[in-house]
Amino acid sequence: MTTNIYEEEFKVEGGDFMNVGTASTTLKSSLEMVGIPSSITRRASIIAYEVEMNLVIHAGGGIIRSLVSTDKLMILAIDEGPGIPDIDLAMQEGYSTASDAIRELGFGAGMGLSNMKRNADVLKINSEMGKGTSVEAIIYFTENTEWRK
Amino acid sequence: MKINTLLSKFTFQVFSKGDQQRELTGVVIADLLSFVMGQANPGEVWLTVQNHLNVAAVAVLKEIPMIILPSGRIPSTDLIQRCIAENITLCSSSRTSYDICIMINEVGFDR
Ligand SMILES: Nc1ncnc2c1ncn2[C@@H]1O[C@H](COP(=O)(O)OP(=O)(O)OP(=O)(O)O)[C@@H](O)[C@H]1O
Ligand SMILES: [Mg+2]
Repeated sequence: MTTNIYEEEFKVEGGDFMNVGTASTTLKSSLEMVGIPSSITRRASIIAYEVEMNLVIHAGGGIIRSLVSTDKLMILAIDEGPGIPDIDLAMQEGYSTASDAIRELGFGAGMGLSNMKRNADVLKINSEMGKGTSVEAIIYFTENTEWRK
Repeated sequence: MKINTLLSKFTFQVFSKGDQQRELTGVVIADLLSFVMGQANPGEVWLTVQNHLNVAAVAVLKEIPMIILPSGRIPSTDLIQRCIAENITLCSSSRTSYDICIMINEVGFDR
Protein backbone atom coordinates (compact mmCIF):
# COMPACT_ATOMS: atom_id res chain seq x y z
CA MET A 1 0.00 0.00 0.00
CA THR A 2 1.28 3.46 -0.81
CA THR A 3 0.56 6.44 1.37
CA ASN A 4 1.00 10.05 0.40
CA ILE A 5 3.71 11.75 2.40
CA TYR A 6 3.87 15.14 0.82
CA GLU A 7 2.17 17.22 -1.86
CA GLU A 8 2.89 20.67 -3.21
CA GLU A 9 1.68 22.76 -6.13
CA PHE A 10 3.31 25.78 -7.71
CA LYS A 11 2.04 28.25 -10.24
CA VAL A 12 4.74 29.36 -12.67
CA GLU A 13 4.36 32.60 -14.62
CA GLY A 14 5.42 32.75 -18.24
CA GLY A 15 8.40 34.91 -19.15
CA ASP A 16 8.95 35.73 -15.49
CA PHE A 17 12.71 35.79 -15.44
CA MET A 18 12.76 37.64 -12.13
CA ASN A 19 11.34 34.72 -10.20
CA VAL A 20 13.11 31.90 -11.95
CA GLY A 21 13.84 28.83 -9.97
CA THR A 22 11.35 29.70 -7.24
CA ALA A 23 9.28 26.54 -7.66
CA SER A 24 12.29 24.24 -7.94
CA THR A 25 14.29 25.77 -5.10
CA THR A 26 11.20 25.76 -2.85
CA LEU A 27 10.57 22.12 -3.73
CA LYS A 28 14.18 21.28 -2.92
CA SER A 29 13.94 22.75 0.60
CA SER A 30 10.58 21.05 1.16
CA LEU A 31 12.03 17.66 0.17
CA GLU A 32 14.98 18.24 2.48
CA MET A 33 12.57 19.14 5.29
CA VAL A 34 10.47 16.01 4.70
CA GLY A 35 13.69 13.99 4.98
CA ILE A 36 13.97 12.71 1.43
CA PRO A 37 17.50 11.32 0.83
CA SER A 38 19.82 13.80 -0.86
CA SER A 39 20.46 11.48 -3.83
CA ILE A 40 16.74 11.59 -4.64
CA THR A 41 16.39 15.29 -3.84
CA ARG A 42 19.21 16.13 -6.25
CA ARG A 43 17.58 14.25 -9.10
CA ALA A 44 14.20 15.79 -8.33
CA SER A 45 15.75 19.28 -8.22
CA ILE A 46 17.18 18.88 -11.72
CA ILE A 47 13.84 17.68 -13.10
CA ALA A 48 11.90 20.44 -11.32
CA TYR A 49 14.28 23.15 -12.55
CA GLU A 50 14.12 21.99 -16.16
CA VAL A 51 10.32 21.73 -16.22
CA GLU A 52 10.05 25.11 -14.50
CA MET A 53 12.35 26.80 -17.03
CA ASN A 54 10.49 25.23 -19.93
CA LEU A 55 7.20 26.55 -18.54
CA VAL A 56 8.72 30.03 -18.24
CA ILE A 57 10.47 30.08 -21.62
CA HIS A 58 8.38 27.93 -23.96
CA ALA A 59 4.88 27.63 -22.54
CA GLY A 60 3.80 30.99 -21.14
CA GLY A 61 3.64 29.50 -17.65
CA GLY A 62 1.80 26.60 -16.08
CA ILE A 63 1.66 24.57 -12.92
CA ILE A 64 4.04 22.12 -11.28
CA ARG A 65 2.62 19.53 -8.94
CA SER A 66 4.85 17.32 -6.87
CA LEU A 67 3.77 14.29 -4.96
CA VAL A 68 5.79 12.12 -2.62
CA SER A 69 4.45 8.76 -1.52
CA THR A 70 6.11 5.87 0.29
CA ASP A 71 7.46 4.33 -2.90
CA LYS A 72 8.00 7.21 -5.33
CA LEU A 73 8.30 10.89 -6.06
CA MET A 74 6.32 12.35 -8.92
CA ILE A 75 6.68 15.71 -10.64
CA LEU A 76 3.93 16.80 -12.98
CA ALA A 77 4.07 19.96 -15.12
CA ILE A 78 1.02 21.12 -17.02
CA ASP A 79 0.74 24.07 -19.37
CA GLU A 80 -1.59 25.50 -21.96
CA GLY A 81 1.20 26.67 -24.23
CA PRO A 82 1.79 26.09 -27.95
CA GLY A 83 2.63 22.40 -27.60
CA ILE A 84 5.60 20.46 -28.95
CA PRO A 85 5.23 19.48 -32.64
CA ASP A 86 7.80 16.65 -32.60
CA ILE A 87 8.57 15.25 -29.15
CA ASP A 88 11.32 12.89 -30.37
CA LEU A 89 13.09 15.83 -32.00
CA ALA A 90 12.65 18.00 -28.90
CA MET A 91 14.17 15.22 -26.77
CA GLN A 92 17.39 15.28 -28.80
CA GLU A 93 20.21 16.91 -26.92
CA GLY A 94 21.06 20.23 -28.57
CA TYR A 95 17.63 20.80 -30.13
CA SER A 96 16.15 24.11 -29.01
CA THR A 97 13.76 26.72 -30.34
CA ALA A 98 14.91 29.34 -27.80
CA SER A 99 15.49 32.83 -29.18
CA ASP A 100 18.93 34.41 -29.39
CA ALA A 101 18.06 36.79 -26.56
CA ILE A 102 17.24 33.85 -24.29
CA ARG A 103 20.34 31.95 -25.37
CA GLU A 104 22.50 34.85 -24.33
CA LEU A 105 21.25 34.30 -20.78
CA GLY A 106 22.54 30.73 -20.89
CA PHE A 107 19.27 28.97 -21.74
CA GLY A 108 18.53 27.09 -24.91
CA ALA A 109 21.30 24.53 -24.82
CA GLY A 110 18.62 21.99 -25.70
CA MET A 111 19.62 19.91 -22.70
CA GLY A 112 16.62 20.32 -20.42
CA LEU A 113 14.57 17.36 -21.60
CA SER A 114 17.69 15.14 -21.69
CA ASN A 115 18.49 16.15 -18.12
CA MET A 116 14.94 15.19 -17.11
CA LYS A 117 15.20 11.84 -18.87
CA ARG A 118 18.55 11.05 -17.30
CA ASN A 119 17.29 11.78 -13.80
CA ALA A 120 13.81 10.27 -13.95
CA ASP A 121 13.02 6.55 -13.87
CA VAL A 122 9.97 7.26 -16.00
CA LEU A 123 9.37 10.33 -18.17
CA LYS A 124 6.09 10.79 -20.03
CA ILE A 125 5.44 13.76 -22.28
CA ASN A 126 2.08 14.46 -23.85
CA SER A 127 1.54 17.40 -26.11
CA GLU A 128 -1.17 18.69 -28.34
CA MET A 129 -0.53 21.57 -30.72
CA GLY A 130 -2.33 24.71 -29.62
CA LYS A 131 -3.60 23.01 -26.45
CA GLY A 132 -0.58 22.46 -24.25
CA THR A 133 1.93 20.03 -22.86
CA SER A 134 2.16 17.81 -19.82
CA VAL A 135 5.34 16.30 -18.48
CA GLU A 136 5.26 13.57 -15.86
CA ALA A 137 8.46 12.40 -14.21
CA ILE A 138 8.69 9.62 -11.64
CA ILE A 139 11.59 8.65 -9.40
CA TYR A 140 11.11 5.33 -7.60
CA PHE A 141 12.50 4.75 -4.15
CA THR A 142 14.36 1.47 -3.92
CA GLU A 143 15.14 -0.76 -0.94
CA ASN A 144 18.53 0.93 -0.92
CA THR A 145 17.03 4.40 -0.59
CA GLU A 146 18.25 5.55 2.78
CA TRP A 147 15.76 7.75 4.56
CA ARG A 148 17.25 10.37 6.76
CA LYS A 149 14.72 9.96 9.54
CA MET B 1 40.46 23.38 -0.10
CA LYS B 2 38.17 25.58 1.90
CA ILE B 3 36.75 28.69 0.25
CA ASN B 4 38.59 30.98 2.66
CA THR B 5 41.93 29.36 1.81
CA LEU B 6 41.47 30.29 -1.83
CA LEU B 7 40.29 33.80 -0.95
CA SER B 8 43.21 34.40 1.41
CA LYS B 9 45.81 33.42 -1.19
CA PHE B 10 44.53 35.36 -4.17
CA THR B 11 42.72 38.64 -4.72
CA PHE B 12 39.06 38.46 -5.67
CA GLN B 13 36.37 41.09 -5.46
CA VAL B 14 33.90 39.54 -3.04
CA PHE B 15 30.21 40.47 -3.47
CA SER B 16 28.72 37.86 -1.18
CA LYS B 17 30.77 36.23 1.58
CA GLY B 18 28.81 33.01 1.88
CA ASP B 19 29.96 30.17 4.09
CA GLN B 20 33.70 30.25 3.59
CA GLN B 21 34.28 27.20 5.75
CA ARG B 22 32.76 25.08 3.02
CA GLU B 23 35.01 22.64 1.25
CA LEU B 24 35.43 22.92 -2.52
CA THR B 25 35.42 19.59 -4.33
CA GLY B 26 36.16 20.61 -7.92
CA VAL B 27 35.56 23.15 -10.66
CA VAL B 28 32.81 23.49 -13.26
CA ILE B 29 33.25 25.98 -16.10
CA ALA B 30 30.14 26.63 -18.20
CA ASP B 31 27.79 29.38 -19.31
CA LEU B 32 24.94 27.12 -20.38
CA LEU B 33 22.67 26.69 -17.38
CA SER B 34 21.27 23.29 -18.37
CA PHE B 35 24.83 22.06 -18.91
CA VAL B 36 25.62 22.96 -15.31
CA MET B 37 22.36 21.34 -14.15
CA GLY B 38 23.41 18.14 -15.87
CA GLN B 39 27.14 18.08 -15.20
CA ALA B 40 28.08 19.92 -11.99
CA ASN B 41 28.73 18.04 -8.77
CA PRO B 42 27.88 19.26 -5.25
CA GLY B 43 30.64 21.39 -3.72
CA GLU B 44 32.16 22.56 -6.98
CA VAL B 45 33.20 26.16 -7.61
CA TRP B 46 31.47 27.49 -10.73
CA LEU B 47 33.20 29.81 -13.19
CA THR B 48 30.76 31.59 -15.48
CA VAL B 49 30.31 34.84 -17.39
CA GLN B 50 26.55 34.73 -16.71
CA ASN B 51 25.90 37.46 -14.16
CA HIS B 52 22.12 37.36 -13.73
CA LEU B 53 19.75 36.05 -11.08
CA ASN B 54 19.24 32.61 -12.64
CA VAL B 55 22.82 31.68 -11.75
CA ALA B 56 21.89 31.70 -8.05
CA ALA B 57 18.95 29.32 -8.54
CA VAL B 58 21.20 26.87 -10.36
CA ALA B 59 23.83 27.13 -7.61
CA VAL B 60 21.22 26.45 -4.91
CA LEU B 61 19.81 23.44 -6.76
CA LYS B 62 23.25 21.98 -7.49
CA GLU B 63 24.66 22.72 -4.02
CA ILE B 64 27.39 24.91 -5.50
CA PRO B 65 28.94 26.94 -2.66
CA MET B 66 30.98 29.41 -4.71
CA ILE B 67 30.58 31.32 -7.99
CA ILE B 68 33.44 33.22 -9.67
CA LEU B 69 32.85 35.63 -12.55
CA PRO B 70 36.08 35.87 -14.59
CA SER B 71 37.52 38.55 -16.89
CA GLY B 72 36.15 41.48 -14.90
CA ARG B 73 32.49 40.49 -15.20
CA ILE B 74 30.38 42.24 -12.56
CA PRO B 75 27.35 40.48 -11.03
CA SER B 76 23.91 42.07 -11.26
CA THR B 77 22.47 43.51 -8.06
CA ASP B 78 19.77 40.85 -7.82
CA LEU B 79 22.33 38.07 -8.21
CA ILE B 80 24.36 39.57 -5.36
CA GLN B 81 21.28 39.83 -3.13
CA ARG B 82 20.18 36.28 -3.85
CA CYS B 83 23.67 34.89 -3.17
CA ILE B 84 23.77 36.72 0.16
CA ALA B 85 20.32 35.32 1.03
CA GLU B 86 21.37 31.79 0.05
CA ASN B 87 24.78 31.98 1.74
CA ILE B 88 26.68 31.42 -1.51
CA THR B 89 30.12 32.96 -1.99
CA LEU B 90 30.06 35.25 -5.05
CA CYS B 91 33.15 36.97 -6.38
CA SER B 92 34.69 38.31 -9.53
CA SER B 93 38.22 38.57 -10.85
CA SER B 94 39.92 40.58 -13.55
CA ARG B 95 41.79 37.40 -14.50
CA THR B 96 40.64 34.93 -17.15
CA SER B 97 39.03 31.58 -16.35
CA TYR B 98 42.32 29.96 -17.33
CA ASP B 99 44.31 32.06 -14.84
CA ILE B 100 41.73 31.44 -12.11
CA CYS B 101 41.99 27.68 -12.66
CA ILE B 102 45.76 27.91 -12.29
CA MET B 103 45.26 29.68 -8.95
CA ILE B 104 42.79 27.03 -7.83
CA ASN B 105 45.21 24.33 -8.89
CA GLU B 106 47.99 25.96 -6.86
CA VAL B 107 45.87 25.70 -3.72
CA GLY B 108 44.78 22.19 -4.68
CA PHE B 109 41.91 19.93 -3.63
CA ASP B 110 41.97 17.46 -0.76
CA ARG B 111 41.52 14.33 -2.83
N1 LIG C 1 6.37 23.03 -22.15
C1 LIG C 1 6.78 23.22 -23.42
N2 LIG C 1 5.94 23.81 -24.32
C2 LIG C 1 6.33 24.01 -25.62
N3 LIG C 1 7.53 23.63 -26.09
C3 LIG C 1 8.40 23.04 -25.26
C4 LIG C 1 8.07 22.80 -23.89
N4 LIG C 1 9.11 22.17 -23.30
C5 LIG C 1 10.05 22.03 -24.26
N5 LIG C 1 9.62 22.53 -25.45
C6 LIG C 1 10.35 22.51 -26.74
O1 LIG C 1 11.35 21.51 -26.68
C7 LIG C 1 12.64 22.09 -26.94
C8 LIG C 1 13.71 21.37 -26.15
O2 LIG C 1 13.51 21.57 -24.75
P1 LIG C 1 14.76 21.47 -23.76
O3 LIG C 1 14.32 21.80 -22.38
O4 LIG C 1 15.44 20.16 -23.97
O5 LIG C 1 15.76 22.59 -24.31
P2 LIG C 1 15.66 24.17 -24.17
O6 LIG C 1 14.65 24.53 -23.14
O7 LIG C 1 15.45 24.74 -25.53
O8 LIG C 1 17.12 24.55 -23.66
P3 LIG C 1 17.71 24.28 -22.18
O9 LIG C 1 16.70 23.46 -21.44
O10 LIG C 1 18.99 23.55 -22.40
O11 LIG C 1 17.91 25.64 -21.59
C9 LIG C 1 12.49 23.54 -26.60
O12 LIG C 1 13.42 24.37 -27.27
C10 LIG C 1 11.04 23.81 -27.08
O13 LIG C 1 10.99 23.98 -28.46
MG1 LIG D 1 14.66 23.63 -21.28
